[in-house]
Amino acid sequence: MTAAPDCIVLEDVALRYRTERGVIDALTGIDLTVAEGEFIALLGPTGCGKSSLLRLVSDLVAPTAGRVVVRGQPALAARRANEFGFVFQEPALLSWRTALGNVQLPLEVMNTPAAERVARCEQLLQSVGLLKFKDNYPHEMSGGMRQRVAIVRALAWKPSILLMDEPFSALDELTKSQLQDDLLDLWNAERKTVLFVTHNISEAVYLADRVVVMSPHPGRIKAVLPVKLPRPRTEALRETSEFLAHVREARDMLRS
Amino acid sequence: MSGSDNAVETRGRMIDRVLPPLIILCVVLAGWQGAVRLLDVPPWLLPAPTDVVDRLVKTSNLWYHTGLTVLEALAGFAVSAVLGVLLSAGIVHSRFLERGVFPYIIVSNAIPVVAILPLLTIWFGFGIAPKIMICTIISFFPVVTNTTRGLKAADRRVLEFMHSINATPWTIFYKVQLPSALPFIFAGFKIAASLALVGAVVAEFYSSDRGLGYLVITSATQLRTDLLFVSIVILAALGVILFSVFGQLERLVTRGEDAEKAK
Repeated sequence: MTAAPDCIVLEDVALRYRTERGVIDALTGIDLTVAEGEFIALLGPTGCGKSSLLRLVSDLVAPTAGRVVVRGQPALAARRANEFGFVFQEPALLSWRTALGNVQLPLEVMNTPAAERVARCEQLLQSVGLLKFKDNYPHEMSGGMRQRVAIVRALAWKPSILLMDEPFSALDELTKSQLQDDLLDLWNAERKTVLFVTHNISEAVYLADRVVVMSPHPGRIKAVLPVKLPRPRTEALRETSEFLAHVREARDMLRS
Repeated sequence: MSGSDNAVETRGRMIDRVLPPLIILCVVLAGWQGAVRLLDVPPWLLPAPTDVVDRLVKTSNLWYHTGLTVLEALAGFAVSAVLGVLLSAGIVHSRFLERGVFPYIIVSNAIPVVAILPLLTIWFGFGIAPKIMICTIISFFPVVTNTTRGLKAADRRVLEFMHSINATPWTIFYKVQLPSALPFIFAGFKIAASLALVGAVVAEFYSSDRGLGYLVITSATQLRTDLLFVSIVILAALGVILFSVFGQLERLVTRGEDAEKAK
Protein backbone atom coordinates (compact mmCIF):
# COMPACT_ATOMS: atom_id res chain seq x y z
CA MET A 1 0.00 0.00 0.00
CA THR A 2 1.29 3.47 -0.82
CA ALA A 3 1.96 5.66 2.16
CA ALA A 4 -1.14 7.82 2.55
CA PRO A 5 -0.97 10.60 5.14
CA ASP A 6 -2.36 9.88 8.58
CA CYS A 7 -6.00 10.75 9.06
CA ILE A 8 -6.82 9.57 12.54
CA VAL A 9 -4.24 8.88 15.23
CA LEU A 10 -5.05 7.48 18.65
CA GLU A 11 -2.17 7.56 21.12
CA ASP A 12 -2.45 5.43 24.24
CA VAL A 13 -6.11 6.36 24.59
CA ALA A 14 -8.15 5.26 27.57
CA LEU A 15 -11.78 5.82 28.40
CA ARG A 16 -13.12 5.25 31.87
CA TYR A 17 -16.72 5.66 32.96
CA ARG A 18 -17.75 6.28 36.52
CA THR A 19 -21.09 4.67 37.25
CA GLU A 20 -22.98 4.01 40.44
CA ARG A 21 -21.61 0.49 40.52
CA GLY A 22 -18.04 1.65 40.22
CA VAL A 23 -15.48 2.38 37.56
CA ILE A 24 -15.71 0.81 34.13
CA ASP A 25 -12.71 0.78 31.83
CA ALA A 26 -14.36 1.01 28.44
CA LEU A 27 -11.05 1.29 26.63
CA THR A 28 -7.38 1.07 27.65
CA GLY A 29 -4.12 1.55 25.81
CA ILE A 30 -5.58 2.13 22.38
CA ASP A 31 -2.92 2.88 19.79
CA LEU A 32 -4.18 3.11 16.25
CA THR A 33 -3.23 5.04 13.17
CA VAL A 34 -5.71 5.25 10.34
CA ALA A 35 -4.46 6.42 6.94
CA GLU A 36 -6.34 8.89 4.77
CA GLY A 37 -8.95 7.03 2.72
CA GLU A 38 -8.48 3.78 4.60
CA PHE A 39 -11.36 1.44 5.38
CA ILE A 40 -11.00 0.10 8.92
CA ALA A 41 -13.27 -2.49 10.49
CA LEU A 42 -13.43 -2.60 14.27
CA LEU A 43 -14.32 -6.18 15.13
CA GLY A 44 -15.16 -7.54 18.54
CA PRO A 45 -17.81 -8.90 20.87
CA THR A 46 -20.35 -6.74 22.67
CA GLY A 47 -18.83 -4.59 25.39
CA CYS A 48 -15.35 -4.31 23.90
CA GLY A 49 -15.66 -0.56 23.46
CA LYS A 50 -15.96 -0.48 19.67
CA SER A 51 -18.74 2.07 19.77
CA SER A 52 -16.95 4.11 22.41
CA LEU A 53 -14.02 4.31 20.05
CA LEU A 54 -16.21 5.99 17.42
CA ARG A 55 -17.48 8.43 20.00
CA LEU A 56 -13.92 9.24 21.02
CA VAL A 57 -12.80 9.84 17.45
CA SER A 58 -15.76 12.15 16.79
CA ASP A 59 -15.28 14.04 20.07
CA LEU A 60 -18.68 13.03 21.44
CA VAL A 61 -16.78 11.85 24.52
CA ALA A 62 -13.35 12.94 25.67
CA PRO A 63 -10.67 10.36 26.49
CA THR A 64 -9.67 10.03 30.15
CA ALA A 65 -6.09 9.51 29.01
CA GLY A 66 -4.14 9.77 25.77
CA ARG A 67 -4.74 11.81 22.67
CA VAL A 68 -7.10 11.64 19.71
CA VAL A 69 -5.69 13.47 16.72
CA VAL A 70 -7.51 13.98 13.45
CA ARG A 71 -5.40 15.39 10.61
CA GLY A 72 -2.88 16.79 13.04
CA GLN A 73 -5.46 18.53 15.22
CA PRO A 74 -7.60 17.58 18.21
CA ALA A 75 -10.79 15.69 17.35
CA LEU A 76 -12.81 18.73 18.42
CA ALA A 77 -11.46 20.75 15.49
CA ALA A 78 -12.51 18.04 13.05
CA ARG A 79 -15.98 17.91 14.56
CA ARG A 80 -16.26 21.70 14.31
CA ALA A 81 -15.34 21.36 10.64
CA ASN A 82 -18.13 18.79 10.19
CA GLU A 83 -15.76 16.05 9.06
CA PHE A 84 -17.71 13.18 10.64
CA GLY A 85 -20.69 11.39 9.16
CA PHE A 86 -22.30 9.09 11.74
CA VAL A 87 -24.43 6.04 10.95
CA PHE A 88 -25.92 3.90 13.72
CA GLN A 89 -27.28 0.40 14.00
CA GLU A 90 -30.80 1.78 14.03
CA PRO A 91 -31.62 4.28 11.31
CA ALA A 92 -32.46 6.88 14.01
CA LEU A 93 -34.57 8.90 11.59
CA LEU A 94 -37.04 11.57 12.61
CA SER A 95 -40.46 9.93 12.34
CA TRP A 96 -42.21 13.21 11.51
CA ARG A 97 -39.98 13.94 8.52
CA THR A 98 -40.08 12.35 5.08
CA ALA A 99 -37.06 10.59 3.60
CA LEU A 100 -36.11 13.83 1.87
CA GLY A 101 -36.66 15.82 5.07
CA ASN A 102 -34.45 13.47 7.03
CA VAL A 103 -31.60 13.69 4.55
CA GLN A 104 -31.91 17.47 4.58
CA LEU A 105 -31.62 17.73 8.36
CA PRO A 106 -27.82 18.10 8.57
CA LEU A 107 -27.80 20.63 5.73
CA GLU A 108 -30.45 22.65 7.53
CA VAL A 109 -28.29 22.63 10.64
CA MET A 110 -25.40 23.86 8.51
CA ASN A 111 -27.55 26.57 6.89
CA THR A 112 -27.24 25.37 3.32
CA PRO A 113 -29.57 27.35 1.02
CA ALA A 114 -32.87 25.53 0.45
CA ALA A 115 -32.60 25.04 -3.30
CA GLU A 116 -29.11 23.62 -3.09
CA ARG A 117 -30.17 21.45 -0.16
CA VAL A 118 -33.08 19.86 -2.00
CA ALA A 119 -31.06 19.30 -5.17
CA ARG A 120 -28.23 17.65 -3.27
CA CYS A 121 -30.52 15.43 -1.21
CA GLU A 122 -32.61 14.32 -4.18
CA GLN A 123 -29.41 13.38 -5.95
CA LEU A 124 -28.30 11.39 -2.89
CA LEU A 125 -31.63 9.56 -2.67
CA GLN A 126 -31.36 8.86 -6.39
CA SER A 127 -27.95 7.29 -5.83
CA VAL A 128 -29.43 4.71 -3.45
CA GLY A 129 -32.55 4.17 -5.56
CA LEU A 130 -34.94 5.93 -3.19
CA LEU A 131 -35.83 9.04 -5.15
CA LYS A 132 -39.38 7.85 -5.76
CA PHE A 133 -39.77 7.31 -2.02
CA LYS A 134 -38.56 10.79 -1.09
CA ASP A 135 -41.96 11.81 0.28
CA ASN A 136 -42.41 8.64 2.33
CA TYR A 137 -42.21 8.72 6.09
CA PRO A 138 -39.90 6.28 7.88
CA HIS A 139 -42.79 4.04 8.93
CA GLU A 140 -43.74 3.72 5.27
CA MET A 141 -40.34 2.25 4.35
CA SER A 142 -38.64 -1.09 4.94
CA GLY A 143 -35.72 -1.48 7.34
CA GLY A 144 -33.23 -1.55 4.46
CA MET A 145 -34.68 1.58 2.92
CA ARG A 146 -34.56 3.41 6.22
CA GLN A 147 -30.93 2.47 6.71
CA ARG A 148 -30.14 3.73 3.21
CA VAL A 149 -31.74 7.03 4.14
CA ALA A 150 -29.64 7.13 7.32
CA ILE A 151 -26.49 6.49 5.30
CA VAL A 152 -27.12 9.21 2.74
CA ARG A 153 -28.08 11.54 5.59
CA ALA A 154 -24.52 11.02 6.85
CA LEU A 155 -23.17 11.87 3.39
CA ALA A 156 -25.28 14.95 2.72
CA TRP A 157 -22.64 17.55 3.58
CA LYS A 158 -19.78 15.46 2.11
CA PRO A 159 -17.93 14.68 5.33
CA SER A 160 -14.51 13.13 4.78
CA ILE A 161 -14.76 10.55 7.57
CA LEU A 162 -17.56 8.00 7.92
CA LEU A 163 -18.19 6.50 11.35
CA MET A 164 -20.47 3.50 11.14
CA ASP A 165 -21.68 1.71 14.26
CA GLU A 166 -22.92 -1.76 13.23
CA PRO A 167 -25.01 -0.15 10.48
CA PHE A 168 -26.11 -3.39 8.83
CA SER A 169 -26.48 -5.73 11.79
CA ALA A 170 -30.25 -5.30 12.09
CA LEU A 171 -30.87 -6.11 8.40
CA ASP A 172 -31.68 -9.38 6.71
CA GLU A 173 -28.86 -11.17 4.82
CA LEU A 174 -29.93 -10.12 1.34
CA THR A 175 -30.33 -6.44 2.18
CA LYS A 176 -27.13 -6.55 4.18
CA SER A 177 -24.95 -7.80 1.32
CA GLN A 178 -26.61 -5.35 -1.05
CA LEU A 179 -25.83 -2.44 1.25
CA GLN A 180 -22.28 -3.71 1.79
CA ASP A 181 -21.70 -3.58 -1.96
CA ASP A 182 -23.30 -0.14 -2.18
CA LEU A 183 -21.00 1.06 0.56
CA LEU A 184 -17.93 -0.32 -1.23
CA ASP A 185 -19.01 1.38 -4.46
CA LEU A 186 -19.38 4.64 -2.63
CA TRP A 187 -16.03 4.23 -0.92
CA ASN A 188 -14.37 3.38 -4.26
CA ALA A 189 -15.78 6.53 -5.78
CA GLU A 190 -15.04 8.95 -2.97
CA ARG A 191 -12.30 7.33 -0.86
CA LYS A 192 -13.56 8.56 2.44
CA THR A 193 -11.87 7.33 5.57
CA VAL A 194 -14.20 4.78 7.14
CA LEU A 195 -14.34 3.37 10.65
CA PHE A 196 -16.82 0.51 10.54
CA VAL A 197 -17.85 -1.20 13.77
CA THR A 198 -19.16 -4.74 13.46
CA HIS A 199 -19.31 -8.06 15.28
CA ASN A 200 -19.67 -9.94 12.02
CA ILE A 201 -16.31 -11.45 10.99
CA SER A 202 -17.00 -11.98 7.30
CA GLU A 203 -18.50 -8.50 7.01
CA ALA A 204 -15.31 -7.04 8.46
CA VAL A 205 -13.08 -9.00 6.10
CA TYR A 206 -15.24 -8.29 3.07
CA LEU A 207 -15.23 -4.54 3.56
CA ALA A 208 -12.02 -3.47 5.23
CA ASP A 209 -8.41 -2.75 4.40
CA ARG A 210 -7.53 -3.69 7.94
CA VAL A 211 -9.53 -5.47 10.59
CA VAL A 212 -8.87 -4.24 14.10
CA VAL A 213 -9.72 -7.09 16.46
CA MET A 214 -10.79 -5.98 19.93
CA SER A 215 -11.49 -7.73 23.19
CA PRO A 216 -13.54 -6.69 26.21
CA HIS A 217 -12.97 -6.08 29.96
CA PRO A 218 -11.19 -3.76 29.57
CA GLY A 219 -11.74 -2.85 25.93
CA ARG A 220 -8.46 -3.04 24.04
CA ILE A 221 -6.97 -3.82 20.65
CA LYS A 222 -5.95 -7.44 20.48
CA ALA A 223 -4.54 -7.65 16.98
CA VAL A 224 -4.71 -5.98 13.60
CA LEU A 225 -5.30 -8.09 10.52
CA PRO A 226 -4.38 -6.53 7.16
CA VAL A 227 -6.81 -7.79 4.52
CA LYS A 228 -4.82 -8.61 1.40
CA LEU A 229 -7.78 -9.18 -0.86
CA PRO A 230 -8.05 -7.47 -4.24
CA ARG A 231 -10.47 -4.66 -4.90
CA PRO A 232 -13.06 -4.07 -6.16
CA ARG A 233 -14.58 -6.85 -4.10
CA THR A 234 -17.68 -8.68 -5.27
CA GLU A 235 -19.96 -11.46 -4.04
CA ALA A 236 -17.79 -14.08 -5.76
CA LEU A 237 -14.95 -13.22 -3.40
CA ARG A 238 -16.82 -14.68 -0.45
CA GLU A 239 -16.39 -18.20 -1.86
CA THR A 240 -12.64 -17.97 -2.42
CA SER A 241 -10.12 -19.72 -0.21
CA GLU A 242 -8.21 -16.48 0.47
CA PHE A 243 -11.35 -14.88 1.83
CA LEU A 244 -12.09 -17.88 4.04
CA ALA A 245 -8.49 -17.93 5.20
CA HIS A 246 -8.82 -14.31 6.31
CA VAL A 247 -12.07 -15.05 8.07
CA ARG A 248 -10.44 -17.99 9.86
CA GLU A 249 -7.50 -15.88 10.90
CA ALA A 250 -9.74 -13.14 12.25
CA ARG A 251 -11.78 -15.71 14.17
CA ASP A 252 -8.62 -17.19 15.68
CA MET A 253 -7.53 -13.70 16.75
CA LEU A 254 -10.90 -13.13 18.39
CA ARG A 255 -10.73 -16.40 20.28
CA SER A 256 -7.11 -16.41 21.36
CA MET B 1 -59.97 1.06 -3.28
CA SER B 2 -61.68 4.11 -4.74
CA GLY B 3 -62.30 7.32 -2.85
CA SER B 4 -66.08 6.93 -2.67
CA ASP B 5 -65.77 3.41 -1.23
CA ASN B 6 -63.50 4.85 1.41
CA ALA B 7 -65.99 7.56 2.26
CA VAL B 8 -68.79 5.03 2.56
CA GLU B 9 -66.70 2.90 4.86
CA THR B 10 -65.75 5.87 7.07
CA ARG B 11 -69.39 6.87 7.30
CA GLY B 12 -70.33 3.29 8.19
CA ARG B 13 -67.78 3.23 10.97
CA MET B 14 -69.01 6.61 12.25
CA ILE B 15 -72.56 5.26 12.47
CA ASP B 16 -71.28 2.15 14.25
CA ARG B 17 -69.56 4.32 16.81
CA VAL B 18 -72.21 6.98 17.32
CA LEU B 19 -75.37 4.93 17.17
CA PRO B 20 -75.07 2.72 20.29
CA PRO B 21 -74.45 5.56 22.79
CA LEU B 22 -77.19 7.58 21.08
CA ILE B 23 -79.71 4.77 21.54
CA ILE B 24 -78.74 4.36 25.19
CA LEU B 25 -79.12 8.11 25.73
CA CYS B 26 -82.60 8.12 24.20
CA VAL B 27 -83.70 5.17 26.31
CA VAL B 28 -82.44 6.81 29.51
CA LEU B 29 -84.05 10.16 28.67
CA ALA B 30 -87.35 8.52 27.79
CA GLY B 31 -87.31 6.50 31.03
CA TRP B 32 -86.49 9.63 33.01
CA GLN B 33 -89.26 11.64 31.32
CA GLY B 34 -91.79 8.83 31.81
CA ALA B 35 -90.87 8.29 35.45
CA VAL B 36 -91.12 11.99 36.31
CA ARG B 37 -94.52 12.33 34.64
CA LEU B 38 -95.95 9.02 35.90
CA LEU B 39 -94.77 9.37 39.51
CA ASP B 40 -95.47 13.10 39.51
CA VAL B 41 -92.01 13.97 40.87
CA PRO B 42 -91.86 17.64 41.96
CA PRO B 43 -89.58 19.67 39.62
CA TRP B 44 -87.33 20.90 42.48
CA LEU B 45 -86.43 17.28 43.19
CA LEU B 46 -86.04 16.07 39.63
CA PRO B 47 -87.12 18.10 36.61
CA ALA B 48 -88.07 16.21 33.46
CA PRO B 49 -85.66 16.38 30.51
CA THR B 50 -88.16 18.58 28.66
CA ASP B 51 -88.17 21.01 31.61
CA VAL B 52 -84.39 21.16 31.44
CA VAL B 53 -84.43 21.84 27.70
CA ASP B 54 -87.11 24.46 28.28
CA ARG B 55 -84.94 26.17 30.89
CA LEU B 56 -81.90 25.95 28.63
CA VAL B 57 -83.74 27.81 25.89
CA LYS B 58 -85.34 30.38 28.18
CA THR B 59 -82.36 31.41 30.32
CA SER B 60 -81.18 34.49 28.51
CA ASN B 61 -77.88 35.16 30.26
CA LEU B 62 -76.70 31.55 30.05
CA TRP B 63 -74.20 32.22 27.30
CA TYR B 64 -72.70 35.09 29.26
CA HIS B 65 -72.01 32.79 32.22
CA THR B 66 -70.71 30.04 29.96
CA GLY B 67 -68.47 32.40 28.04
CA LEU B 68 -66.96 33.76 31.23
CA THR B 69 -66.16 30.31 32.60
CA VAL B 70 -64.67 29.21 29.29
CA LEU B 71 -62.61 32.40 29.14
CA GLU B 72 -61.21 31.81 32.64
CA ALA B 73 -60.43 28.17 31.92
CA LEU B 74 -58.79 28.82 28.56
CA ALA B 75 -56.80 31.82 29.80
CA GLY B 76 -55.55 29.82 32.79
CA PHE B 77 -54.77 26.86 30.59
CA ALA B 78 -52.93 29.03 28.06
CA VAL B 79 -50.74 30.52 30.77
CA SER B 80 -49.85 27.11 32.17
CA ALA B 81 -49.25 25.69 28.68
CA VAL B 82 -46.75 28.43 27.85
CA LEU B 83 -45.08 28.51 31.27
CA GLY B 84 -45.14 24.74 31.59
CA VAL B 85 -43.48 24.07 28.26
CA LEU B 86 -40.86 26.76 28.93
CA LEU B 87 -40.11 25.38 32.38
CA SER B 88 -39.83 21.85 30.98
CA ALA B 89 -37.39 23.09 28.36
CA GLY B 90 -35.32 24.55 31.19
CA ILE B 91 -35.60 21.38 33.23
CA VAL B 92 -34.26 19.09 30.50
CA HIS B 93 -31.33 21.41 29.85
CA SER B 94 -30.32 22.03 33.44
CA ARG B 95 -29.78 19.43 36.12
CA PHE B 96 -29.91 22.21 38.69
CA LEU B 97 -33.38 23.27 37.60
CA GLU B 98 -34.60 19.70 37.48
CA ARG B 99 -33.37 18.91 40.98
CA GLY B 100 -34.33 22.32 42.35
CA VAL B 101 -37.78 22.83 40.86
CA PHE B 102 -39.33 19.39 40.59
CA PRO B 103 -39.98 18.89 44.31
CA TYR B 104 -41.95 22.14 44.38
CA ILE B 105 -43.94 21.19 41.32
CA ILE B 106 -44.94 18.02 43.13
CA VAL B 107 -45.80 19.99 46.28
CA SER B 108 -47.88 22.44 44.25
CA ASN B 109 -49.81 19.51 42.87
CA ALA B 110 -50.33 18.07 46.34
CA ILE B 111 -51.98 21.23 47.73
CA PRO B 112 -55.72 21.20 47.00
CA VAL B 113 -56.55 24.32 44.99
CA VAL B 114 -59.60 24.87 47.17
CA ALA B 115 -57.19 25.70 49.98
CA ILE B 116 -55.38 28.33 47.92
CA LEU B 117 -58.56 30.07 46.79
CA PRO B 118 -59.15 32.21 49.89
CA LEU B 119 -55.57 33.43 49.79
CA LEU B 120 -55.80 34.42 46.14
CA THR B 121 -59.09 36.16 46.85
CA ILE B 122 -57.48 38.20 49.65
CA TRP B 123 -54.65 39.18 47.34
CA PHE B 124 -56.46 39.72 44.05
CA GLY B 125 -60.08 40.30 44.96
CA PHE B 126 -63.26 38.90 43.49
CA GLY B 127 -62.50 39.56 39.82
CA ILE B 128 -61.40 37.27 37.06
CA ALA B 129 -57.68 37.27 37.95
CA PRO B 130 -57.70 34.81 40.87
CA LYS B 131 -59.91 32.44 38.85
CA ILE B 132 -57.44 32.39 35.98
CA MET B 133 -54.65 31.75 38.47
CA ILE B 134 -56.49 28.78 39.93
CA CYS B 135 -56.95 27.38 36.42
CA THR B 136 -53.24 27.84 35.79
CA ILE B 137 -52.22 26.20 39.05
CA ILE B 138 -54.48 23.20 38.60
CA SER B 139 -53.46 22.56 35.00
CA PHE B 140 -49.73 23.24 35.40
CA PHE B 141 -48.68 19.84 36.71
CA PRO B 142 -49.80 17.62 33.81
CA VAL B 143 -48.27 20.07 31.32
CA VAL B 144 -44.87 20.07 33.02
CA THR B 145 -44.65 16.35 33.74
CA ASN B 146 -45.78 15.31 30.26
CA THR B 147 -43.65 17.85 28.42
CA THR B 148 -40.58 16.96 30.45
CA ARG B 149 -41.10 13.29 29.79
CA GLY B 150 -41.61 14.00 26.10
CA LEU B 151 -38.51 16.16 25.76
CA LYS B 152 -36.47 13.44 27.42
CA ALA B 153 -37.89 10.78 25.12
CA ALA B 154 -35.97 12.05 22.08
CA ASP B 155 -33.92 9.31 20.41
CA ARG B 156 -30.46 9.24 22.01
CA ARG B 157 -28.78 8.45 18.69
CA VAL B 158 -30.46 11.30 16.89
CA LEU B 159 -29.12 13.57 19.64
CA GLU B 160 -25.64 12.09 19.18
CA PHE B 161 -25.92 12.64 15.46
CA MET B 162 -26.87 16.25 16.05
CA HIS B 163 -23.90 16.71 18.38
CA SER B 164 -21.56 15.13 15.83
CA ILE B 165 -22.57 17.83 13.32
CA ASN B 166 -22.21 20.69 15.82
CA ALA B 167 -25.89 21.51 16.15
CA THR B 168 -26.47 24.14 18.84
CA PRO B 169 -28.64 23.25 21.85
CA TRP B 170 -31.36 25.54 20.47
CA THR B 171 -31.30 23.82 17.07
CA ILE B 172 -31.46 20.42 18.73
CA PHE B 173 -34.36 21.62 20.83
CA TYR B 174 -36.61 22.85 18.06
CA LYS B 175 -35.61 20.38 15.36
CA VAL B 176 -35.50 17.19 17.45
CA GLN B 177 -36.60 17.41 21.05
CA LEU B 178 -39.71 19.56 20.67
CA PRO B 179 -41.20 17.70 17.68
CA SER B 180 -40.60 14.32 19.29
CA ALA B 181 -42.24 15.60 22.49
CA LEU B 182 -45.40 16.82 20.74
CA PRO B 183 -47.46 13.66 21.33
CA PHE B 184 -46.61 13.85 25.04
CA ILE B 185 -47.30 17.57 25.16
CA PHE B 186 -50.74 17.20 23.63
CA ALA B 187 -51.56 14.30 25.93
CA GLY B 188 -50.69 16.68 28.77
CA PHE B 189 -52.74 19.50 27.24
CA LYS B 190 -55.76 17.21 27.01
CA ILE B 191 -55.69 16.53 30.74
CA ALA B 192 -54.73 20.11 31.61
CA ALA B 193 -57.59 21.69 29.65
CA SER B 194 -60.18 19.52 31.43
CA LEU B 195 -58.62 20.35 34.79
CA ALA B 196 -58.65 24.07 33.98
CA LEU B 197 -62.40 23.87 33.48
CA VAL B 198 -62.79 22.22 36.88
CA GLY B 199 -60.58 24.95 38.35
CA ALA B 200 -62.73 27.72 36.89
CA VAL B 201 -65.96 26.24 38.29
CA VAL B 202 -64.47 25.62 41.73
CA ALA B 203 -63.09 29.16 41.84
CA GLU B 204 -66.51 30.54 40.96
CA PHE B 205 -68.11 28.48 43.73
CA TYR B 206 -66.02 30.26 46.27
CA SER B 207 -66.28 33.87 45.23
CA SER B 208 -68.19 35.01 42.25
CA ASP B 209 -71.37 36.61 41.06
CA ARG B 210 -71.12 35.21 37.55
CA GLY B 211 -69.98 32.17 35.60
CA LEU B 212 -71.23 28.59 35.47
CA GLY B 213 -69.86 27.81 38.94
CA TYR B 214 -71.89 30.69 40.37
CA LEU B 215 -74.92 29.46 38.44
CA VAL B 216 -74.54 25.98 39.95
CA ILE B 217 -74.29 27.32 43.50
CA THR B 218 -77.17 29.82 43.26
CA SER B 219 -79.53 27.48 41.46
CA ALA B 220 -78.84 24.83 44.11
CA THR B 221 -79.46 27.16 47.04
CA GLN B 222 -82.65 28.45 45.44
CA LEU B 223 -83.76 24.91 44.58
CA ARG B 224 -83.94 25.81 40.90
CA THR B 225 -83.04 22.26 40.00
CA ASP B 226 -83.82 22.69 36.30
CA LEU B 227 -81.20 25.44 36.06
CA LEU B 228 -78.77 23.25 37.99
CA PHE B 229 -79.23 20.53 35.40
CA VAL B 230 -78.74 23.05 32.60
CA SER B 231 -75.42 24.11 34.14
CA ILE B 232 -74.30 20.52 34.52
CA VAL B 233 -75.20 19.69 30.92
CA ILE B 234 -73.27 22.69 29.64
CA LEU B 235 -70.23 21.82 31.77
CA ALA B 236 -70.33 18.24 30.52
CA ALA B 237 -70.53 19.45 26.94
CA LEU B 238 -67.60 21.85 27.48
CA GLY B 239 -65.51 19.09 29.02
CA VAL B 240 -66.21 16.75 26.13
CA ILE B 241 -65.44 19.45 23.56
CA LEU B 242 -62.11 20.36 25.19
CA PHE B 243 -61.12 16.74 25.58
CA SER B 244 -61.94 15.81 22.01
CA VAL B 245 -60.28 18.90 20.50
CA PHE B 246 -57.02 18.11 22.23
CA GLY B 247 -57.50 14.40 21.65
CA GLN B 248 -57.81 15.14 17.95
CA LEU B 249 -54.66 17.28 18.00
CA GLU B 250 -52.84 14.54 19.87
CA ARG B 251 -53.90 11.96 17.29
CA LEU B 252 -52.72 14.29 14.54
CA VAL B 253 -49.20 14.58 15.93
CA THR B 254 -48.93 10.91 16.94
CA ARG B 255 -50.00 9.45 13.61
CA GLY B 256 -46.50 8.64 12.43
CA GLU B 257 -45.37 7.13 15.72
CA ASP B 258 -48.43 4.91 16.03
CA ALA B 259 -47.87 3.51 12.59
CA GLU B 260 -44.25 2.82 13.47
CA LYS B 261 -45.15 1.03 16.67
CA ALA B 262 -47.69 -1.07 14.84
CA LYS B 263 -44.91 -2.50 12.68
